[in-house]
Amino acid sequence: MLLLARLRLRLHSLLRRDELDDQLAGEFEFHLAEQKAELLAQGLSEAEADREARRLFGPVTPLRAQCRDTRRTQWLEDLLLDARFTLRALRAAKAFSLLAILTLALGIGANTAFFSTAYGILFRPLPYPEPERLVEVVDGFSGVGPVTALRTLARSVDYAGYGAPEPANLQLPGESVRAFVSPVSFNLARVLGVTPHLGRWFTAAEERSPNPPPVVLAHHYWRTRFQSNPAILQELILLDEKPHQIIGVMPAAFSFPSPQTDLWRPINLDPRLAGQIWGSGGFNAMGRLQLTATLAAAQSEIRPFAPAIRAQFPWPMPDAYGAAAVVTGHDRAQSEAVRPKLLVLAAATLLLLLIACGNVGNLLLARGIQRHREFALREALGASRTRLLRQLLTENLVLVLLGGAAGLLCAVAISQALPHLFPTDTPRLAELSADPALLLGAATSLLLTVLLFTAAPLLAARLRDSSSGRSLSPSRRAAHLSLALIGVELALATTLLIGASLMGHTLWQLSNADPGFAATNLVAARLSAGPSRCPDLARCLALLDDIGQTLLTQPATRAVHWANFAPLEKELTAAASELEDHPRAPRDPASMLWRTAASPGYFSALGIPILAGRPFTPADRAGAPLVTIISRSTAERFWPGQSPLGKKIRSLADLQWRTVVGVVGDVAQYSLAGFPSWVEGVQYLPLPQALSAAQPSLNLSLLLETADPDWPQALKQRYPDLVIANVQTLGELRAASVAGQRSTATLLALFAALGLLLGIAGVHGVVAHRAAQRTKELGIRLALGATPLQLLRTVLQETVLVALAGAALGVALAYPASAYLQSLVYGICATALAAAAVPALRATRTDPILTLRQD
Amino acid sequence: MSRPSDLIQGTLDLLILKTISHGPVHGWAIAKRIQQVSNDVLLVQQGSLYPALHRLEQQGWITAETKPSASGRVAKFYALTPAGQKQLEHELNQWERLSAAIALVVEPA
Repeated sequence: MLLLARLRLRLHSLLRRDELDDQLAGEFEFHLAEQKAELLAQGLSEAEADREARRLFGPVTPLRAQCRDTRRTQWLEDLLLDARFTLRALRAAKAFSLLAILTLALGIGANTAFFSTAYGILFRPLPYPEPERLVEVVDGFSGVGPVTALRTLARSVDYAGYGAPEPANLQLPGESVRAFVSPVSFNLARVLGVTPHLGRWFTAAEERSPNPPPVVLAHHYWRTRFQSNPAILQELILLDEKPHQIIGVMPAAFSFPSPQTDLWRPINLDPRLAGQIWGSGGFNAMGRLQLTATLAAAQSEIRPFAPAIRAQFPWPMPDAYGAAAVVTGHDRAQSEAVRPKLLVLAAATLLLLLIACGNVGNLLLARGIQRHREFALREALGASRTRLLRQLLTENLVLVLLGGAAGLLCAVAISQALPHLFPTDTPRLAELSADPALLLGAATSLLLTVLLFTAAPLLAARLRDSSSGRSLSPSRRAAHLSLALIGVELALATTLLIGASLMGHTLWQLSNADPGFAATNLVAARLSAGPSRCPDLARCLALLDDIGQTLLTQPATRAVHWANFAPLEKELTAAASELEDHPRAPRDPASMLWRTAASPGYFSALGIPILAGRPFTPADRAGAPLVTIISRSTAERFWPGQSPLGKKIRSLADLQWRTVVGVVGDVAQYSLAGFPSWVEGVQYLPLPQALSAAQPSLNLSLLLETADPDWPQALKQRYPDLVIANVQTLGELRAASVAGQRSTATLLALFAALGLLLGIAGVHGVVAHRAAQRTKELGIRLALGATPLQLLRTVLQETVLVALAGAALGVALAYPASAYLQSLVYGICATALAAAAVPALRATRTDPILTLRQD
Repeated sequence: MSRPSDLIQGTLDLLILKTISHGPVHGWAIAKRIQQVSNDVLLVQQGSLYPALHRLEQQGWITAETKPSASGRVAKFYALTPAGQKQLEHELNQWERLSAAIALVVEPA
């Protein structure tokens, strides 16, 4: 009650300040009048009574201030007054305000946008209950068999498995589309702690059912393909021509293991499929720690399972199987690939923020020096030091608020653009949004700078004896401080530049790396059809022929080629193999050979040189002697100094020896940066001999020499159930393969440019300010006969020294990247000089008479 | 005019509350009454009464009302609120305990 009354009183005193002040004056007047009347009655004269009454009362002005202070609203009134004053002052100093606000906006904006992105991808808790208890197994136990065995054996973790989405043909009324299906363990939903939006998830029995398994839809797929129809449950859909029942729809936020996933199906543990269950890779184990278990317990438990799991394989496995398995946090495993990149970019934005802080600090410092006289005057007139400090703080607060508001707009704009700068396969990209907490963080760091730079000149002023404050020259210390700041800024900008150019260099190298194929206009497309189109090998090959003939009826289409995958499609295709002259102990790991299946015209169409032997010919048919072609580096690795022609290679899957009939140039089949480290060589197989006789399927890459962008039309008419996807030229495929590096390089270049811009603005500001302060000195020098050139040297000397020191420091910071620093260092010095030159030149045009008359 | 000691200065709030408790009075009258009642021993600088009064008002212990005084001039009259009544009792208690304690120390046993 009392509290409420007090609050009302405060509000009252705030809103009716003038009225209260009048009342206060009236009260004092009344008191003095009563006292005077009493004194007059005692016989004092009018003048004496007046004087005595005032003496008895005490000093009116401080008492009035004391009374006002009891209202406890004075600070607020001061604040409002200061803020009003600040806005006026900022309007007056337009250049200063604009520069400071823009700098702050840039620093805060870039940082907030970037840190929220990095945070969103790296550190934000996963959208599952108790995400810290989710673990992932890496470097071991991949595959349906091993993961399922692990699930049975493990005590401290509830393990489930998931596979990357695999393409399948989904037949919808009127059209066939490609759908991506992720195979999962039935307990995945339990492990992740998610419940379906509609219907239900899989049961344990469905993993072992001989019937086609049911499927669960991803929310986005349900929305786009099935118009969010709730009656979809229990309906059948045709996946690769087999009916599957839809039993559930997952919530919108659930995109596991990747946003690409359209459907989930349970794994099939039918014992008759042992070969598939134990032979398939690409199926990973993840799990949830049991209530009392720790990550350490899970880790110590897992490796001892290796012998038990190895024994379950239908074929002998290497002794080292599973020995390297590691249990790690699920969030960490998910973002492992982008982590270094994001950390580099986060460091870059931090540097940018530091540079921005340095700039604003310098601006404030310069302004503080300019206003030295104003503050000395106000102090002499009785303003308390705390009052002055409070005003400075208010001014800077207003500045930060304005800058922060502009920065927020920047951050929103950048955040909108950022997801487009990252490759679409970046995990958790869809969840991103600018985080208010991080905005607060960036604003706080800037606020701290401002506070620091406010307090510094004031304390410096306190250190100086205020009695000798007649000397109105700027403090030397402040000048040194601002020069030091410039140096640090230039150092940071140098570091940024070096980082950016390194990344640019990497990108340049990658983009200019020889992919091994010359054709860039060849159109690649993925063609797939249901099993009925490829019931056996002969009919499958006939289909390929017919597709080729159909396409060639179009006049603009010159040639049709086939491969299992186009180069740089980022698909893994490799086989454990044994090579002649390289005997292998039964339990040693086999050599992994990259395996591309290609039609006869493949090499000439892509411009891949035949270095020895011959390319494939139409005679390399299904029944003909098995042949293979290897790449140059494979030949050099396995048969150095001798001809590989006639040597034999067999895959451990079919154990059939294939004769090497040719050697071709190296091709970047996987990525421009090379193959995964475990790939030891590359072999090509003739397409008819590569297609499995038992289970042929049409899921191939079509390579087309055509000038007609509408080429799919004829094919669609003839084969309505055929799915044509990922239509891209090889040039586009190649550009897309370095999208990740390109985004990093672009962002870094952007940051470096901004950093340099801020650095230049900083150098310019400081030199201009220094020159302006030294106008008098320069004028005297000119009057004494100094030449403009000498003056120029005087002004530039400091800047050059600072720029050199800054660049040197930057180089030291970026020392690991010292490959081609020299040119950059020259660049920094030249830039700093250029920035300093304009104000320096202006200084040389000083009119001595005019400047000497200034004071 | 001797300066009141700090101890007494600190109990200015108590004096004001006690003075006001007899009925609404204006500032000058409070100053006069403290002076009279204490037989001119407690001489506060008259002006210093006002910050104290305003503080008590902001605390919600006293309220003010503007009305004509006996002399015909308009003055601000202060009166005790119920909260102020409680505060006065509290401060009186404190004062009695303090003076009893001091008496114990100062007077010979």
